[in-house]
Amino acid sequence: MSSVARGRVRELMGEVMTAQGRSLPADDTADLREIGFRSLDFSELALRVEDELGDELNFDAPGLRRIATVGDVLDFIEQLQSA
Amino acid sequence: MTRRRSTALIGDDNTVVVSGKRLTWRTLHKLPQLPSPAAVLVDNGADALAALRHHAVHGTELLVATSSRVDERMREELGESGFAIVLPDGEVTPARLKRIEESGRAWLLTSGSTGRPKRIGHTLESLTTVTTDQPPRTWLLPYSPGTYAWWQVVTISLTQADQGLVVIEPHELEDWPSIAAEHGVTAASGTPTFWRQAIYRDADALADVPLEQITLGGEPVDQAILDQLREIFPKARISWIYASSEVGASIVVHDGKAGFPKSWLERTPDPDRPILSIDGDELVIRSPHHGAGLVGAVHTGDRVEYDGDRVLITGRLDSDEINVGGSKVSAGVVRNVLMGHPGVSWARVFARKAPLVGRMVAAEVVPNPALGPITDADLVQWCSSRLPDFGVPRRIKFLDEIPQKETLKSDV
Repeated sequence: MSSVARGRVRELMGEVMTAQGRSLPADDTADLREIGFRSLDFSELALRVEDELGDELNFDAPGLRRIATVGDVLDFIEQLQSA
Repeated sequence: MTRRRSTALIGDDNTVVVSGKRLTWRTLHKLPQLPSPAAVLVDNGADALAALRHHAVHGTELLVATSSRVDERMREELGESGFAIVLPDGEVTPARLKRIEESGRAWLLTSGSTGRPKRIGHTLESLTTVTTDQPPRTWLLPYSPGTYAWWQVVTISLTQADQGLVVIEPHELEDWPSIAAEHGVTAASGTPTFWRQAIYRDADALADVPLEQITLGGEPVDQAILDQLREIFPKARISWIYASSEVGASIVVHDGKAGFPKSWLERTPDPDRPILSIDGDELVIRSPHHGAGLVGAVHTGDRVEYDGDRVLITGRLDSDEINVGGSKVSAGVVRNVLMGHPGVSWARVFARKAPLVGRMVAAEVVPNPALGPITDADLVQWCSSRLPDFGVPRRIKFLDEIPQKETLKSDV
């Protein structure tokens, strides 16, 4: 399976935020709650990544983890693509 | 255990936490001059509880639902069926048809076979399926008002002693574990999506909630979510329930496994227990907790498949109502909002499979060529100011022309 590069995932995340009238900070340590990135936004990002991949992400494989920052989201999407 | 058949308001002094305020059922705010029959459309959980208590005390005829679930057409249909429509701001539209109320009747909306919600008649008694005495608990109430699952939780609190409630309003859903921990929630019922979101968001915060009873329902329950919850809450009782407005709570499984034992399909008939069977790949239930007029075998519209000695329930055979993480929205309502945008000529709204929330609202749109170009961000903003968050289409595809099927319909 091909993959969407981290930088591109970040761009897509920015598009999700823009569509919601917000902006994505450049800092990967930015707190998701503070920037208003919520579950629906996360789900939308996953769909955008899936659309670019032309394949579904496998959410069943990864273990439990905390997703609190922009970097966590990018790490998680990366992990999903290698699952 | 003693079995009661009474629906007396034994829980009237139970604690009810709404928007951080500790009240009781008895001290909840009152809705002035609620008509009967009434369809009370709410935009918050507190108003829904107040409407329910009013119904329980006065024996009125009530349908309670979130306003986003009931579109203009359904409001008209309700008016023509004798319901006054009470809007979230208190405005009342009198019923078009004058009729005598059905005293004590509670109406629920459920997804019909046509995909449009239909009304199912119950009473407080038929909705109160937990009738054995329960250990003292504080229940989380994250469900959308008026759904069967919502009625299940609120009737436990209203009819049993020592069953507190902590209401989670839609804007509090993202942060419910901290609210639950603060108010000592020991029992919580939610969809698998609800639990999955809580785990992905912050498993540590979830683990801080002193849960003794975890219940899943409203969507197919997979083994992965049961296992993840077991890992976080090794001592809690973890149950999944199959329930619907039509057949009530009909399958309750406590063994931590997805699906139910195949042997349950051959149980000796017992009038107090639902009889389960399979027709083709559809689950059929004959239930003592059924809605009015649904005596006998009910084809549930839910698809099943066998997995070894278990029967798994995998999803709806056919439905157009979109379930976004347990919050339901009418595709018709969303379509109407999109079509209300001056730059839109045609729209189709549908569910798209999505991680975390199970389904998301998606749309195909044909722009109005007479006006300037529109973007998906324009439409998202348009919808955001007119729909709840979960009803806003997140993936919008622009088409060049309106698709047409052989039937001359456009499949909306």
